[in-house]
Amino acid sequence: MPKILIVEDNEMNRDVLARRLQRHGFSIYCAEDGPSGISAAERERPDLILMDIALGEMDGWEATQRIKASPATADIPIIALTAHALASDRQRSIEVGCAGFETKPVDLPRLLSKIEACLAPTNYRAIA
Amino acid sequence: MRCASAEAGVAMFIRFQPTIEWVNHFVGWFIPAEMNGDREKQKQAKMFLFSHIFGPFIGNVIPAAIYVLDPHPTYDVAILALSITAFWVFPFVLRWWGHYEALVILSVQNLIFCILWSCYFYGGVTSPTLSWVLTIPLLAFFYIGPHSRLRMVLLGLFLFNFVAFTAVYVVDPTGGKHLPLASLQGLGLVSTTCTGIYVMMMAIYYAKILASGAELEAEARQHLATSVALRQAALEAERAGAAKTEFLAKTSHELRTPLSAILGYSKLMLEEAVEEGDTHSVPDLENIYGAGQDLLKLINEILDLAKLEAGRMELFIETCDPGAIVGDVAQDYIEAARRKRTEIVFDLSRAPKECLCDIQKVEETVGQLLDNAVKFTENGKITVSVEQKITGSRADLVIAVRDTGIGIARDVIPSLFEHFTVSQDSSSSKYGGTGLGLALCQRYCRLMGGHILVESTVGEGTCFTVQLPWKPGENTAEPLPGATQALQFAAA
Repeated sequence: MPKILIVEDNEMNRDVLARRLQRHGFSIYCAEDGPSGISAAERERPDLILMDIALGEMDGWEATQRIKASPATADIPIIALTAHALASDRQRSIEVGCAGFETKPVDLPRLLSKIEACLAPTNYRAIA
Repeated sequence: MRCASAEAGVAMFIRFQPTIEWVNHFVGWFIPAEMNGDREKQKQAKMFLFSHIFGPFIGNVIPAAIYVLDPHPTYDVAILALSITAFWVFPFVLRWWGHYEALVILSVQNLIFCILWSCYFYGGVTSPTLSWVLTIPLLAFFYIGPHSRLRMVLLGLFLFNFVAFTAVYVVDPTGGKHLPLASLQGLGLVSTTCTGIYVMMMAIYYAKILASGAELEAEARQHLATSVALRQAALEAERAGAAKTEFLAKTSHELRTPLSAILGYSKLMLEEAVEEGDTHSVPDLENIYGAGQDLLKLINEILDLAKLEAGRMELFIETCDPGAIVGDVAQDYIEAARRKRTEIVFDLSRAPKECLCDIQKVEETVGQLLDNAVKFTENGKITVSVEQKITGSRADLVIAVRDTGIGIARDVIPSLFEHFTVSQDSSSSKYGGTGLGLALCQRYCRLMGGHILVESTVGEGTCFTVQLPWKPGENTAEPLPGATQALQFAAA
């Protein structure tokens, strides 16, 4: 059962996304800000992280950079989630090392296909 | 009020224009190019030229009168006439040689000479031509203005001449001629009249120059004030527009967060209800979810429009397969079309394998066009075609969505791409939609350097054609021939 870490500061958004993903067979961990997201990533070693960008003091991009900088968590694919649909946000997300970018409100089928695409190479590497 | 008074001023200005304009034009011909920059200098030069061109006509009346009144005219009259006539040379010298200040000194010296010469020979210190002495400071003021180092030079010149005259007069007071009293009286009359006319002429011309200058200055000041006010107003409008856009963008963004929760939870409950066989709740939850989706679409459209109008919409250009994009988007509409017994067919035979474009914006544009086509077509056919159109050095991507629906009335077409326009006879309650969609499509296409065309015949169908440049965002400035307008009309 793939493990997904959701880093999101809005409680309802976090809850609903967690429950909808659980229904698709993922085991979900949640964090409500950047620092706790980084420590959760180190502790739980999830297969994938869904990272909100507007997180308050430490934004999702910075959290992503830190997770990518640590050898223990560098390989975890991260999908950025943001309510801004700006092309520059997308560009920035890719620059800091995100594997994907999704706008909120989340379109679940589209997010699921991105999650699957991200998990596939991990599986391949695990087998190899 | 300001406009009215300005107009009256201009009218007044125009009324006395012709004479002064003719004189100005004539006088202006002699002003050397290097004096044209300074308005004050120009004014002085005009006075100088005016007095030198028209003055000798009046001045020469004096030697003429002397010649007539003197029973035995001698060489002194000829010298006086020659000196006065010499003033006519000055304008030409100024025109070809320049050196205005030197000419002023020479001219004033010549004037003093003429006056004192005539005084010496005809009446001495009680000469009837003595009144001309008054014109010396007057002309000096006209020629050099009130603030000039030349003032001292001219004053020195005057004193020197006066001392010389006094010396000569004291040494030989009998050097002058002794005219009969009647002749002196006649000369006095002529001389005083001429002085009066001359001084009046100069004063009037000076007043006119001053008045025209003041008129022009007032006009210029008024125009300047108006332009400043206009710029201020434009700036304020721009600021207000930016604030409105900013507010719209912020509000739309804030609306999406709670809407996210509504959509997420209703979808979750819907899925659970379906699983648990709670058929009673399913339609209600579907309605909540559907209404939430509609609201989201509207908010997204407003947000995008606000971004586009604020110039904050960016392009994200990627290499992609246009046929695949269009096919993927159309998948979402096949079911809706089927419910209206309408078929969606694809013509991708001439589609390029890959192109550069902003996938998201192309998807949204095609989605909107398909949404429209499905909405207004029943028992019909929707054809989606993608092709590459090569014109000269240009290779454009052309996406067309053609339906066999109700068509669009001719009078509606021009407002089709404006905000919140839905065809009059197709109320939004029947067909739905906010009317923002097509406005967005057009702005997306323009942002990518392309355009969107519509051809429609009522009762037969509509065809929307999107034309995008090979490299989006570039060569925006050269629309294809015949496509300069966003609209094309098919013969009805």
